[in-house]
Amino acid sequence: MSNRLFQGVVHQMRDAIDRTIGVIDETASIIACSDLGRVGELSTAVTADSFTETDTFISGDYTFKPFGSHPHAEYILFVSGTDEQAAKYASLLSVSLSSIKQYYDEKYDRGNFVKNIILDNILPGDIYLKARELHFNNDVSRVVLLIRISNRTDISTFDVVQNLFPDKTKDFVINISENDIALVKEVRSNIDSAHLEKLARSIVDTLGSEFYTPATVGIGTVVEGIKDLARSFKEAQVALEVGKVFDTEKTICSYDNLGIARLIYQLPTTLCEMFLREVFKKSSIDSLDQETLFTIQRFFENNLNVSETSRRLFVHRNTLVYRLEKIKRLTGLDLREFDDAIVFKVALMVKKYLQANPVKY
Amino acid sequence: MASLSLKNIYKRYPGGVTAVSDFNLEIKDKEFIILVGPSGCGKSTTLRMIAGLEEISDGELHIGDRLVNTVAPKDRDIAMVFQNYALYPHMTVFDNMAFGLKLRKTPKDQIKRRVEEAARILDIAHLLDRKPKALSGGQRQRVALGRAIVREPKVFLLDEPLSNLDAKLRAQMRTEISKLHQKLGTTFIYVTHDQVEAMTMGDRIVVMKDGLIQQVNTPQYLYDKPCNMFVAGFIGSPQMNFIDSKLLKEGDTFYVEFGTEATKTKREIKFRIPLPASKNADGALDAYVGKEVIMGIRPEDVHDEPRLLEQYKDCIVPAKVEVTELMGAETFLYLDVNTFSFTARVEPTSTARPGDENVSIALSNDKIHLFDKDTEQTICN
Repeated sequence: MSNRLFQGVVHQMRDAIDRTIGVIDETASIIACSDLGRVGELSTAVTADSFTETDTFISGDYTFKPFGSHPHAEYILFVSGTDEQAAKYASLLSVSLSSIKQYYDEKYDRGNFVKNIILDNILPGDIYLKARELHFNNDVSRVVLLIRISNRTDISTFDVVQNLFPDKTKDFVINISENDIALVKEVRSNIDSAHLEKLARSIVDTLGSEFYTPATVGIGTVVEGIKDLARSFKEAQVALEVGKVFDTEKTICSYDNLGIARLIYQLPTTLCEMFLREVFKKSSIDSLDQETLFTIQRFFENNLNVSETSRRLFVHRNTLVYRLEKIKRLTGLDLREFDDAIVFKVALMVKKYLQANPVKY
Repeated sequence: MASLSLKNIYKRYPGGVTAVSDFNLEIKDKEFIILVGPSGCGKSTTLRMIAGLEEISDGELHIGDRLVNTVAPKDRDIAMVFQNYALYPHMTVFDNMAFGLKLRKTPKDQIKRRVEEAARILDIAHLLDRKPKALSGGQRQRVALGRAIVREPKVFLLDEPLSNLDAKLRAQMRTEISKLHQKLGTTFIYVTHDQVEAMTMGDRIVVMKDGLIQQVNTPQYLYDKPCNMFVAGFIGSPQMNFIDSKLLKEGDTFYVEFGTEATKTKREIKFRIPLPASKNADGALDAYVGKEVIMGIRPEDVHDEPRLLEQYKDCIVPAKVEVTELMGAETFLYLDVNTFSFTARVEPTSTARPGDENVSIALSNDKIHLFDKDTEQTICN
């Protein structure tokens, strides 16, 4: 699209400027030129490093000026000649082409389109009209991954993720907020959650190992059709939020694997408070100290097995039995009984939920 | 100087999960240390705490002489390689290795020098112009290592970097990483759940379970003198045979006895293996006489060769051969000794065949390990 846009402008400029002018893209190909025969040629004058230049530079018989959207230039404009006039033309034309490109991107950018869909900023009826206008494929499966950066670093996480998924026709990397980046990825329709988690893991590991940036990723479900992208995005948000409450040690949370936490997350807080009052009639859950709560956690982890738990806790079996009796005295719940244990387990999760007070989507 | 000191390190998550407890370890400069253990034992969490990607809940972490608990990861002078590395698909190998440095605004001449040096060390200098899709799995892994090397860190942290490779490539890369450690002369901390990687690569191994260090020592020491049943079972492949037994003493000789009790339809069958006096050099066995213990014996200490049957003639038990596995240089026999399962690693010339009954096998009684049945701690090695 950019090629035609630039060629149109360059063509109009040709009569006003008595010089050869053209535009080179990141692959060093000439994508637009006042001399039509040169379109498609590879330029030997520019290298990958040329795109990091910010000012005009001269190479051979031409003056060059990189331009494009932040953070680095995507195109280089060239004007024949090495005199001051050529540098002025290059500077002026680059401003003009940048502005046109920016306007065009805002109007026709698929990334913006996808961003508007997932953030519900577009009327449902307009989605399909716009999709047709942008030749946006509606018949493929896509998934939304929400990447949340825990600590701000001086590295642009957006750039890193964009470079990991550079195919801009299939994958869309969208800045949601200062700490959140959404990745809308085209996937196979039958992709399983293990593959998606592996994909998320590769993002977390790359950000961690290469840029020392701790990140967590929420994964929505795979959806068909662009309208449902908003749902997948909300699911990814819920997965992250639920993970923050119930699976604090996890860096990847998939909406498909939220378990009982999914139910608790949906409950109104008044209902939860009522449930806790009902369960802990004798005394509040707060009357249990950290050591007791740790003991309970280990007891659950070891499938209510007293011998195994005492071995793991490095305490005598009788000490553990004494602690369990104490819990029974305080709460009226005997954790060695399956029914009481499950009530206690759910109560602990509800308590955690109330304390965390997560955002509801 | 890149020694590390981890003192009473804890990792507790807000939800109540304690991933690492009271972790104490001194890592010497230029040492290659391996953290090994089953999934969920806290080894990756420990590595991430060293990297600064996880906060330390309690304890002190020193790199060199500096307390780094609150130091940002980028200022710790470390580099990491993780299992699920991802290369930038549209960039050449050179750009993949240089990308991190470029984003950190490293001068171009330095980037070029560092990338070319790393490529030379990793033997991928001829691949610098290629894109990831034109590389093999091993070559991609080297590029991932290269991205860490270009940072010229004092400490390398590697979290299961070979897990995604096939068995053959993994064996090859094991050697490559060991060579790399020698070439770079920096401290390596390597996390794996694969005990073969642990045994073959590290100067010292830290065996972990449930967030706790079980034992720290050289691979050979851990193999010969495990401190508990977990270490004994985790280190070594095939794993050590564990048999429920009883410790007896007659005169000055200690015996380990195992077998089955009499029932209405079956008579009692017991086997007694005498233990050499050296097993009680520190008097540890005295407290266990008449008590139930667990006998551990490694597969290579279970024999069917006539020469060894003669040597250990007091330690022979009859067995039924259930399965044999010819591995080329050795054969594994899976045996049933009166309902107790044994694995033996014997010579490939062994004549034992599946289904053979009453095959005599000898146990090297000088290699027997005994464990406390309740605590699973080692009584004698």
